[in-house]
Amino acid sequence: MSNKIELMINEVFQESFEIEKNQLKPEANIFEDLGLDSLDVVDLVVALQNKFKVEIRTDERIKEIRTLKDLCIFIKELQSEGSS
Amino acid sequence: MNNYDDIVVGSGISGLTTALILGMNQRKVLLLEKSPKIGGSLSRFYKKGIPFDTGFHFTGGFANDLILSDMLSVLSLNDDIHPEFIKNPEDNRFIFENQGKSFEFHSGFEQNKKDMLSYFPDEKNAINSYFSKVKNVRMNTKAMNIRAEFVMQQPLEEDFISLKEVLDSLTDNKTLKTLFSAFSMCHGTEPSQISFANHSRVTYSLYESIARVKDGGNAFIKAFKNKLKEYNVDIKTNTFISSCEDIAKRKVGTFVLNNGIKLKADNCVFTIHPEEILKTFQEKNTSKAFIDRVKNFEESVGFFLTFIKLTKKDQKPLNPAVITLYPDNDLDKLFDPKYKGDLPLVLVKNSEEVKNEKINIINAFELSHWEHVKQWADSTTGKRSIEYKEYKKNRTDRIIQRITTMFPEYKNCLEVIDSASMLTFRDYLNNPYGSAYGIKQKIGQFNLFGRVQYKNTYAAGQSSILPGVLGAMMSGFTICRYILSKEVYAKFIENN
Repeated sequence: MSNKIELMINEVFQESFEIEKNQLKPEANIFEDLGLDSLDVVDLVVALQNKFKVEIRTDERIKEIRTLKDLCIFIKELQSEGSS
Repeated sequence: MNNYDDIVVGSGISGLTTALILGMNQRKVLLLEKSPKIGGSLSRFYKKGIPFDTGFHFTGGFANDLILSDMLSVLSLNDDIHPEFIKNPEDNRFIFENQGKSFEFHSGFEQNKKDMLSYFPDEKNAINSYFSKVKNVRMNTKAMNIRAEFVMQQPLEEDFISLKEVLDSLTDNKTLKTLFSAFSMCHGTEPSQISFANHSRVTYSLYESIARVKDGGNAFIKAFKNKLKEYNVDIKTNTFISSCEDIAKRKVGTFVLNNGIKLKADNCVFTIHPEEILKTFQEKNTSKAFIDRVKNFEESVGFFLTFIKLTKKDQKPLNPAVITLYPDNDLDKLFDPKYKGDLPLVLVKNSEEVKNEKINIINAFELSHWEHVKQWADSTTGKRSIEYKEYKKNRTDRIIQRITTMFPEYKNCLEVIDSASMLTFRDYLNNPYGSAYGIKQKIGQFNLFGRVQYKNTYAAGQSSILPGVLGAMMSGFTICRYILSKEVYAKFIENN
């Protein structure tokens, strides 16, 4: 399951932010390594919402996310909250 | 190259507000307007000497809930804007054509509730609960107080539940539910798609008071113009930003105008439609995520507007009035672009002085969608097809028929001065789809607001937080708080 989430997250970065596939490693820092700016955060949230069909409120947890792995864990949590 | 502290794009009420606040804070400001005149939807037009309003017809915020008066007083404009309140319940009315029922409301939040209780005595719980929920949202929306200390409104639980869901949980009475949602025409989004919170924010002020303004939107334009001059704000009409260039470290280095002039600015605030903002950002510099976000916004409704003069002899000047005709009590159905029957019709009555004579007029707004006129989208004003003219004539005739059916006393004394479709609004007011409220305010949506795309570009306007004059002005205040810093802003508000 988490593999699928990882793949889908990678797709978002490739499709919506045109980031090369080889840069998308779980430990990659979204801001420092992938070059996103705080200005991109809302756009990223919207793109993730559309991809995963989940509602990401201005959740406090978002502020803690740094790496792709953090993001994967967050989405996983959101999905399990939604289905429970 | 010319340098400015701030460029403000668009001179509707949001742009005027933003430019003035920045100017009042000793900044060098440039206000840009694409049209030949400033004012956007505030503008009136004159035909046969009679002034008609295009986009600004009535508002809340002048009494009880004083948010508008408060904003105007900070801008020192209160003496120039004179509200004309709707006082009589018969002038604040909703009529269900299919049931022949009419509901009149006194102004005031508590009065509205009381009137609602008198019409539906068996629905006491639903009515009390609805009004307390609306008030609760309004009181918890601290951002609606320009004197509040913090910058960003945190979403409430009610921001994530639709108006329809709340109403369905309260009652099965369809007529009552439609009356609860009756001001949907004032934000342009159907009950199943608007959040209960945004519905409440718009509606609360209208329950407290409804007013027209003497001389309509022109009163605002005139007052702002004088103040902008006083604070040395440069205004350029027929001008817009055609591209943002020399981008480095996520900052726009050069703003290029349509006349080729290049400008530098610390900040640029766009108060125009999100799609128009997107156009000024070069696609190669914009993430697909941002482009998709903007393209996925849907458009709010618009209106087919018929301007009518009353020709009845010996008539008294009309009191200002807002009367809405509902052909049916299922609003979601009526907001569906595919629906083919009659659509909600709002009649705004008033009296205007023309050459020392009082002329009574009715502006009749029928709900409309872009889909109604899309087939003629490639045409321009004055050069449209016969089919389009027929469309306009048919809608106008039907509107007159509906008015005279409901008010037989107006038979043979309604003179149609002009009609405007959403294409007319598009072409005269420079908004991409001629809608009334910019983008639709959908639940859970992230509007363009605050800093967008670059470190020195901002989005404000009625698409950003709340539609209408109140929301548009509030967005200007909030953006200025960012730009000026919390401390400077607080001092400015305090001193004014």
